[in-house]
Amino acid sequence: MTQTAEKPRRESESVSRQIFHLTRKELRETLRDRRTIITLLAMPLLLYPLLGLGFRYMAVLNARAETPQVLLAFESEDEALWTQDLLKTTDALRENSEVDDTTDPSLEFELFITEDGMSLSESLMEGYAELGIRVSMTEPITRSGPRGRSVELIQVAGSAISQRAADEMERRLAAINVITLSDIVKDTYPEFNLPVTRTFDTVEPVGKTSAILGLLPLVLLLMTVTGGVYPAIDLTAGERERNTLETLMALPVPHIRLLFAKYFAVITVTMLTGLMNLLAMSVTVYSLQLEGTLFGENGLTGLVLLKLFLVLVAFAVFFSAALLALTSSARSFKEAQAYLIPLLLLAIAPGFVILLPDWELTRMTAIVPIINVLMLARDLFQGTASPLLALAAVGTTLLYSSLFLFIAARIFGADAMLIGSRGQWRDLIDRPAEFARTPTAAAAGCLLAFLFPVYFVSSGLLQRMADASIAQRLTASALLTIALFVGIPLLFAIWRRLRVLTAFRIATPGLSVWPGVVLLGLTTWPCIFELVVLVESTGLQKLTEQNMDRIQALLDAWRQVPIWVVVVALGIVPGVCEEFFFRGFLFSGLRSRTNGLLTILGTAIAFGLFHVVLAGGAAPERLIPSTLMGLLLGWVSLRTGSMVTTAIMHGIHNSTLLIMAHKRDELANWTVTAAEQSHLPTTWIIASAVGIVVGTSWIWLTTRQPKT
Amino acid sequence: MNLLQSDTRDRNKPPLTDSATITSVRDIRLSVCYSESPFLRECHMIHVQKLTKRYSPTKLAVDELSFSVTSGEVYGLLGPNGAGKTTTLRMLLGLLPPTSGDARIEEHSIMNAPVEIKRRIGLVSASAGLYQWLTPREVLEYFGWGYGLKPDVIRRRTEELTDVMQIGDYLDQRCATLSTGQTQRVNLARALIHDPPVVLLDEPTRGLDVLGAQVIFDYAARLRQDGKAIIVCTHKLEEAERLCDRFGLLHRGRLQQEGTIEELRAATGETSLVEMFLKMIGPVNPEERIA
Repeated sequence: MTQTAEKPRRESESVSRQIFHLTRKELRETLRDRRTIITLLAMPLLLYPLLGLGFRYMAVLNARAETPQVLLAFESEDEALWTQDLLKTTDALRENSEVDDTTDPSLEFELFITEDGMSLSESLMEGYAELGIRVSMTEPITRSGPRGRSVELIQVAGSAISQRAADEMERRLAAINVITLSDIVKDTYPEFNLPVTRTFDTVEPVGKTSAILGLLPLVLLLMTVTGGVYPAIDLTAGERERNTLETLMALPVPHIRLLFAKYFAVITVTMLTGLMNLLAMSVTVYSLQLEGTLFGENGLTGLVLLKLFLVLVAFAVFFSAALLALTSSARSFKEAQAYLIPLLLLAIAPGFVILLPDWELTRMTAIVPIINVLMLARDLFQGTASPLLALAAVGTTLLYSSLFLFIAARIFGADAMLIGSRGQWRDLIDRPAEFARTPTAAAAGCLLAFLFPVYFVSSGLLQRMADASIAQRLTASALLTIALFVGIPLLFAIWRRLRVLTAFRIATPGLSVWPGVVLLGLTTWPCIFELVVLVESTGLQKLTEQNMDRIQALLDAWRQVPIWVVVVALGIVPGVCEEFFFRGFLFSGLRSRTNGLLTILGTAIAFGLFHVVLAGGAAPERLIPSTLMGLLLGWVSLRTGSMVTTAIMHGIHNSTLLIMAHKRDELANWTVTAAEQSHLPTTWIIASAVGIVVGTSWIWLTTRQPKT
Repeated sequence: MNLLQSDTRDRNKPPLTDSATITSVRDIRLSVCYSESPFLRECHMIHVQKLTKRYSPTKLAVDELSFSVTSGEVYGLLGPNGAGKTTTLRMLLGLLPPTSGDARIEEHSIMNAPVEIKRRIGLVSASAGLYQWLTPREVLEYFGWGYGLKPDVIRRRTEELTDVMQIGDYLDQRCATLSTGQTQRVNLARALIHDPPVVLLDEPTRGLDVLGAQVIFDYAARLRQDGKAIIVCTHKLEEAERLCDRFGLLHRGRLQQEGTIEELRAATGETSLVEMFLKMIGPVNPEERIA
């Protein structure tokens, strides 16, 4: 009778049918849950009408703001009547085109007399009026305008409308003066014309759209994500919470297939939410007749909706994978929610980038996750999307999704998920009873997380030493580097009873590797320098004039001290100390948990991120070159089994670069390099590339394990 | 013999039958299987050899555990909390990779053929939940697909298990509305949907009343008759005595004693499993009660 589970019939058919049935169960489970339905249906149905009403209210306020009513306060009826006469006179002049187009017809004035006992200033301060006008009444008004009157305008400080009213009154008074003088002169000289006349016109900037149009993609996409959050948590962390994970993992189905089923279910719910949002938005826009206001003369067409739907698909594919990657590592709903809040904040933050006028979908921004899809959605709304860039944005989004899915598959159903984590926070802080050779990956990660903000704040504090001499600043910088990258990790290691030599990977490799290490240290910098230039030329990050000036000032300042001081403070000390932490402590921590490749990658990314932080700001252009340098240092460290080699290599690299910067002008005089040129001579770059190839080959050859 | 001082590595070998009383044809079959002849090794449906699981340098969950279970045999893996029972079951299922050692289900190793292993095992765990928004029928259908069964097989097995487990009254009711006993019956049906040759029962009667537990006993007896190899982990030692043919007493990840109840009585001088346990673990630590 025993039949055992059947082996697959036709593999591909069997797999697809199995995934279909697995997905169907996930969807059944999700869509029967009323919490999903509330997110799916109720939220969009409530949100968009409310947003629409809000927008209409804003539009009405805007319309009012375009013709604001300004209250002018007077102390006496005579003054008010005089001003009313002035306003009528200048209105007539404008209608007859007798004055320049300088008055603001959109302002509507209302005049009122202050109550007895209240001064003009008091009525303005109390907010009863926008502008106070005091007129010294001596003579009646004539066609030629009031003569010899002194008019005092009292405005509310910091009030835009008060300023606008004062400007308008000033223009009208000036117009009266000009026309009066002009009339007088023309009586004598009929041919007289004013030497200068002014006219004003306004134009709409290209691509200008409603500000809310920029927010729509963000609202739409965020609402779409909301739909995927609950199913993602429920289908992953929920499995563990309701004790179904073990039986699920006991199925003879590869994890990736189980995860695919969950992924398709999350995408489906996310897409359904996206569609509901799109539908609710379209109905709201249509019923409130906002399509013209929001989308211009073409309105919200079916084609725009279709394109938006496609963007939503890409977004759902990406976010569903990201959600699953995060929730797969959670052991409960609460934990999953804690993970997702930062993700949602991360999604919102770049969303506002698309509101910045200078941010366009370019070759570079098309590969930046989230931002690329948001920009594409915005461009689709505006009808300015480029097909090639759209393809790049969608393509990279799908690529990132695959990466997230791969991560999720590795995590979902893993040991820690099944049996629960045995570690607790205290384990990272408490002093262990026994000595250990290397730190745990968690301990190394914690120290990294601690050092990053400390480094950020310390760099800022260093920047405040502007009044100190360059020697003092260099000394402070060196001491800070030693304290951060050597002092703190060393204290941590001693407290955690770690063997310093093994925890920091302090070992002396054989003499044979050193030529390669020194060669790499000497020859890497031109290639790294060119990378910075390359990154700048791609437009990812431009070195501003201000930055260039700062660098030049720094170079000039360094000349005030002997070159060796600069080399020690900024070359050798950072080189050695950074290696002590990155290729020492962090490397051994990560290596205890994962393979060499991931260790190199992890330390290199951390190294790159640290180099983005500069005193008093950030230098994103350093991320890629520093990370690549980190990869090379990591590889050398792995091959040689020590941080000593990379400390020497890093120190030589920094020192060479500093000496070259210090001697820049002399080199320019020898026509080796021109100070104005951004690129290094080609021969230098070739020599650097050759040096890197020879150096790495040397290290590889001298560290090969003999075949047994 | 003092069990705590015994050499468990020697004891991990299947006991020979010369000290035991052969009472039935099945016992004869078992005794033949536990002979050292390599030609008869195929009788072992489950063969565990020096299975070890170390979670951390200081946490050894299972220490070189070896035992075998034949077709038609119910093997009781008993031990206090943290003895390593559940870890052993998870390793057998391929849910946890062992640190060292191996286990074979039929001819398949847990190290090399995790999918084949999972096809051959049905897991019933007292802590296992059900999908709250699905009905028992949908749960059985889902797991049927998961085990790669054809639709007609899923239908037939669902009907069979519905009759045996008496779950027909609530087969189309949402699982969230089921009682503990009903949930456990559905769980048992779920574990057997693919009619596996090996069944792992982890606390199968926890939360069940007498009638509910009886259903489990009856079905275990039927599974035994069908030639399944069954491993039971339970804290109800009197139930274990009724249910199991042989026992492995596990303490701190090591197999301290193994054999039929008669063999254990002869070896320990104690009459009941409870007494054997108390003797095995020594003075009772408040945090280490018998499970």
